[in-house]
Amino acid sequence: MAVNTTTYVRSSSRTSAYLDWLQMLTGAALILFMWSHMILVASVILGAGVMNALAGFLEETYMAQVGGPIIGCIFLFHFILAARKVPFRAEQQSTIWKLSRQLRHTDTYLWLVQATTAMIILIMGSIHMWTVLTDLPITAAKSAARIQGGFWFVFYLILLPLVELHVGIGFYRIAVKWGFARRKDRKKFKKLENYLTAIFIAIGLIALLRFLLLK
Amino acid sequence: MARKLIFNIFRYNPQDPHSVPHTDTFDLEETESMTLFIALTQLREEKDSSLQFDFCCRAGICGACAMMINGRPGLACHTLIKNLPDEITLMPLPIFKLIGDLSVDTGTWFRAMHEKVESWVHTSKSFDPQAEEERMDNALAEEIYELERCIECGCCVAGCGTANMRQDFVGAVAMNRIARFIMDPRDQRTEKEYFEVIGTDEGIFGCMGLLGCEDVCPKHLPLQDQLGILRRKMGWSAVKQLFRRS
Amino acid sequence: METLFTDVLCIGAGLAGERVAVEAASAGFSTICLSIVPPRRSHSSAAQGGMQAALGHCAMGEGDCPDVHFEDTVKGSDWGADQEVVRLFVERAPEAVREMAFWGIPWNRVVPGRSAYFKGGKEFEKVEATEKEGLITARSFGGTAKWRTCYTSDGTGHTLLYTMDNKVVELGVTVHDRVEAIALIHDGETCTGVVARCLKTGKLRVYLAKATLIATGGYGRIYRETTNAVINDGGGAIIALDTGVVPLGNPEAIQFHPTGIVPTNILVTEGCRGDGGTLLDVNENRFMHEYEPEKAELASRDVVSRWMTHHIRQGLGVKSPYGDHLWLDIRHLGEHHIKTKLREVEEICNNFLGVDPITQLIPVRPAQHYTMAGVRTNKDGAAYGLKGLFSAGEAACWDMHGLNRLGGNSLAETIVAGKIVGEKIVEFLHGYEVQYNTGVIRDAVIRQQERIDGLISGKDGNENVYEIRNAMQNELMDRVGIFRNGSDLQKAVDNLQEIYARAQQVGLRSNGIGVNPELTLALKIQGMVKLALCTACGALQRTESRGCHAREDYEARNDRDWWNRTLATWKEGDDLPTLNYEPATETVELPPAERGYGVCKIISCDGEIIGEE
Ligand SMILES: Cc1cc2nc3c(=O)[nH]c(=O)nc-3n(C[C@H](O)[C@H](O)[C@H](O)COP(=O)(O)OP(=O)(O)OC[C@H]3O[C@@H](n4cnc5c(N)ncnc54)[C@H](O)[C@@H]3O)c2cc1C
Ligand code: HEM
Ligand code: HEM
Ligand code: SF4
Ligand code: F3S
Ligand code: FES
Repeated sequence: MAVNTTTYVRSSSRTSAYLDWLQMLTGAALILFMWSHMILVASVILGAGVMNALAGFLEETYMAQVGGPIIGCIFLFHFILAARKVPFRAEQQSTIWKLSRQLRHTDTYLWLVQATTAMIILIMGSIHMWTVLTDLPITAAKSAARIQGGFWFVFYLILLPLVELHVGIGFYRIAVKWGFARRKDRKKFKKLENYLTAIFIAIGLIALLRFLLLK
Repeated sequence: MARKLIFNIFRYNPQDPHSVPHTDTFDLEETESMTLFIALTQLREEKDSSLQFDFCCRAGICGACAMMINGRPGLACHTLIKNLPDEITLMPLPIFKLIGDLSVDTGTWFRAMHEKVESWVHTSKSFDPQAEEERMDNALAEEIYELERCIECGCCVAGCGTANMRQDFVGAVAMNRIARFIMDPRDQRTEKEYFEVIGTDEGIFGCMGLLGCEDVCPKHLPLQDQLGILRRKMGWSAVKQLFRRS
Repeated sequence: METLFTDVLCIGAGLAGERVAVEAASAGFSTICLSIVPPRRSHSSAAQGGMQAALGHCAMGEGDCPDVHFEDTVKGSDWGADQEVVRLFVERAPEAVREMAFWGIPWNRVVPGRSAYFKGGKEFEKVEATEKEGLITARSFGGTAKWRTCYTSDGTGHTLLYTMDNKVVELGVTVHDRVEAIALIHDGETCTGVVARCLKTGKLRVYLAKATLIATGGYGRIYRETTNAVINDGGGAIIALDTGVVPLGNPEAIQFHPTGIVPTNILVTEGCRGDGGTLLDVNENRFMHEYEPEKAELASRDVVSRWMTHHIRQGLGVKSPYGDHLWLDIRHLGEHHIKTKLREVEEICNNFLGVDPITQLIPVRPAQHYTMAGVRTNKDGAAYGLKGLFSAGEAACWDMHGLNRLGGNSLAETIVAGKIVGEKIVEFLHGYEVQYNTGVIRDAVIRQQERIDGLISGKDGNENVYEIRNAMQNELMDRVGIFRNGSDLQKAVDNLQEIYARAQQVGLRSNGIGVNPELTLALKIQGMVKLALCTACGALQRTESRGCHAREDYEARNDRDWWNRTLATWKEGDDLPTLNYEPATETVELPPAERGYGVCKIISCDGEIIGEE
């Protein structure tokens, strides 16, 4: 049993505040990115031409060449920020798992989902970004080829739900933490979170299938 | 037919060198309107008179009797047995120092919290016994009272994942206390002073929005709302200070 | 043996103890508070309704002043109070409320304009003055001529105690919670501290102090049905009585509150009736106005409790597995009022009864509530019998309540008396030195250690401490309750003596190691039975009816023979208390007369009989 009877007085510093801001802002930026990203990827549903056009636009405006690495940086930065909160010590790990099992409390449990998905996203997301960004330009045909290879299909099949879960929960968490969702709105926000996650997974799956079937 | 209840109760007496942490099982017949207060008292008086637990007001207003009831923190005295399953598991609150069995030392923790957040009205005025009191809007008084209703039971701390992982986290109860003083015009602390107390990773920026606190608080304090407001306030305060510097 | 030294030792960290501590610490004296529970869990936090002080800001309190408060309090006490003390109290109560406001209480405030209020189930209208906007408002309470009870919703005790404890933290006063005083250290003349048992480890500890204060609150737990917290079992009164020289004042003065809920006896505040709630019988008819046309539900507590008991005895109670009860009806106050001004009541009904007071009736009946009885002190709070010993709050018999306390006067007493007694202790300490007598200290400690060892080894017998406590509680409940008579009281005294003998033969069932709860009770049980005997003996001797003390065989208030105060001491080795009497009051501002409510049958000072039909 851990014992604590004192709280520590810290010298005044605003670092925590800024880090928290940045964590939220990088999170929010990544959410926005993932939504845009979904537009790009899902455009294939409408046809290879649409996707190529979008990708071409990104290419010509250098948004892919410059934006890609920037996103990569935000991604890493967000990881570093958020990792402050992730329990790496075994003792803390077991505490939080035990607690959330005991509590049977969804929001605590969701946080665990967020932290766990994050670790996997970190690895898979990096691999994915490396692959795509070292093989520019983006075209529907190249993507389709990758996915029809089988490996990437399974890869995305795993990554997609993990990302969408993380994003959905992250969205809800920002709303709650920063007081956008008040007590009376909490149920509504939670529903919204679930819908968002489900819808994005669905669109993503359709896009994947489309790639798989693209000639 | 009255139910037969099974109680699994955590037992450990740190003062007894022969005692090791374990679980004892007792059975008891349910009676009408039985609460955990009645049940535990009966267990102590009839089955094992060394059983340690805390009750004081037995009316849900003093906060003495918080414990983990089937895994969730709650007030034992206002928990009606009829809302519980046949098998009831009772554990002491985590985080607080164990005194024995279900009894924990909340007093030391809360005193440290009061000192840390300086839980009193800071003012440069002095009291004038002859003068009429300062006026206050009744609506504001009621708003302050809303936050003042906290009974310091510790449930929100015990039910918080962050507090369980990090010993230095002050918990929602402390944040609520600060929110109460921010609201009170009699307290002359500046935003910056409040920031120094709570604008840290031990304070509001350590909170991960798990909302265990909100969901277990037996007095239904508006913790979610207050934490949100506080984070925004402290967040802006930091931003403002940034610009004031440059 | 761990020994701590301090100037002032407050046994009790409720409102009274902490108020004294604040005063002493502000004057620069080192101060330690002891408490069985963390200070904010003290039973002061359970007080719901409010605190009386004649501010006169609200419309229905217009024209209020200390004089009116004085009159109400003396009448409420049925002339049992010390009028000099009452005067002192009423004059300083307004200042106390304001000081608490200054320290942070969110008192409810005057909202100008028209608003409805209820009285006796009927709706009336009042208009609050615009120029009073934002000043501290008040609600109606039993036995008062004006609305005088200042409040914060129905959590007044809670906010007061939290604010007081904030002050204690601010001043850096040491509080040792989970420490129980089990004996005073004294040589028969001077008190120099206590022997205490730490309830975190079970170990004994010595506190030495120049001034020791007993502020341990009431001891309702000697009764079976009480609104009091489970820790209110008389620790302070017991250690005072154990000295053999410090008397308890008016031990027979035990108040019953009209509205404890059935079956758990949790209190629902008098504010319910103050705000317009009514009492109903089995036919859902009001009845109080038939007995008390003037005050109806808002007569003083002793009177309402008696009429309720009387009404139940007429067969008009509601039958339940827990015995007969009556109904409290607050439905007509409306959802908004209940959800803002009677929140705790709403929670208590929902959580403990499964009753929604907005749409349903609340089952209530009188339950033990307050001990006017207590450690007898002079007007400075200095205990009779021992130098260096003080007392304040419910634990004390200061004595502003006489034979009946008015609702809202007790919170006010804790703070006003706390301040006054605190000031007096500071005065006392200036230039005061004590010599600690190590022999006396050692004897006191050895005595307590021997008691503990004896209980664990079972050398005196193996009586079950819980059975003894239950027997004592039943005896008081059944025979020393709301209505009393000579033969029952005699029987109670006889039975309690037998119980007292058994209490001396307690042996533990468990091993008694550490913070053993059985040992905690066993250490107190003899003292509790002593308190019970003081109450029963005091009641048996007092052959009149006054305030809460209602003798069926002596229905008149007898000012000729009983306008006095019982003083009970317990000499070492005795098995009954010694009772002495002193005049109720030296100063007489308001000579005995009719109260204006309750049965009026008085034998006046010169023997004239008033109100005999
Ligand atoms: C349910 C309820 C509602 C009430 N409502 C009102 C109201 O609305 N208005 C009003 O005016 N009054 C009300 N009262 C009465 C009033 O609350 C009390 O009389 C008053 O608060 C007592 O305060 P106190 O400081 O004397 O004692 P308490 O607050 O009871 O404090 C006693 C202290 O002594 C400590 N203690 C006890 N024994 C020992 C020991 N042996 N060693 C060490 N420490 C010890 C305890 O731990 C505690 O800290 C109410 C009472 C009850 C029970
Ligand atoms: C700037 C960086 C990125 C670019 C340019 C990019 C581009 C692409 C492209 C072109 C595809 C189509 C499949 C393919 O070609 O292999 C794709 C799919 C995918 N990307 Fe990214 N991506 C980026 C960052 C990320 C990040 C950070 C994540 C999440 C961690 C992510 C998650 C996914 C997923 C889950 C899919 C599968 C989509 C589906 O379900 O159809 N991507 N991405
Ligand atoms: C490298 C991989 C990632 C890791 C390790 C990671 C980790 C985390 C963690 C632990 C949190 C919780 C922080 C807290 O509650 O305070 C979090 C929050 C969040 N994450 Fe991630 N994340 C990763 C990638 C992403 C990606 C790709 C996105 C978006 C597409 C994202 C969006 C968010 C959002 C919106 C939040 C909420 C922010 C907040 O609560 O302030 N994360 N992340
Ligand atoms: S905020 Fe609620 S849960 Fe936390 S201590 Fe206060 S009353 Fe208990
Ligand atoms: S549970 Fe803990 S993390 Fe924050 S929202 Fe409540 S304090
Ligand atoms: S005993 Fe006071 S809250 Fe449960």
